[in-house]
Amino acid sequence: MADLAEIKELIEAALPGAQVEVLDEGGGDHLRAIVTAAEFEGISRIDQHRAVRAAVKERFDDGSIHALSIQTETP
Amino acid sequence: MAADPQLKEQVQGLIADHPVLLFMKGTPEAPRCGFSMRVVQVLEAAGAEYGAIDVLPALQPLREVTTELYEWPTFPQLYVKGELVGGCDIVEEMLDSGELAELLEVEQPDAEIPEADRILPGGSQTSPPMQLG
Repeated sequence: MADLAEIKELIEAALPGAQVEVLDEGGGDHLRAIVTAAEFEGISRIDQHRAVRAAVKERFDDGSIHALSIQTETP
Repeated sequence: MAADPQLKEQVQGLIADHPVLLFMKGTPEAPRCGFSMRVVQVLEAAGAEYGAIDVLPALQPLREVTTELYEWPTFPQLYVKGELVGGCDIVEEMLDSGELAELLEVEQPDAEIPEADRILPGGSQTSPPMQLG
């Protein structure tokens, strides 16, 4: 079971200044992260997603996140 | 753990050979995951021809391959003209923005794709056979 607040913190730590919202889409292990960050400007969607995923890699690896939907925006 | 070199080569070959290739869980007629199903629905709505590979028989080895090649461990994965487009989120975003239709060289599909509709067989998908070594 992933801790939503922790996931939010991990992403915020990796992307300082980003606005992050983490929602449970069902069962505690299907999450949705909505991340708005100026540093996403000019970066491909794939790279934006890679950045978010890298931030929470441990939680993927230990199985607490089963699926993470990612939505990225620029401010 | 290093990815199986033979499998890696096979994957690279498939990506190079198919203009539109979807690595998914299950098959277009019987998707085994909601995200995979949604990408299939997008492709069917766009009327694009695509190849589909079911990753479930070799999930972990394939994760290792795509992680090594593209730093992308999760499925579904859509490749168009040899490039990784992304997973379900990105595909849906690009559908909404019109970018996907442009990339696939198809007309922008109009209506909203209905949620969780059954995939009907006989769509625009042609699954290439995949022999895993």
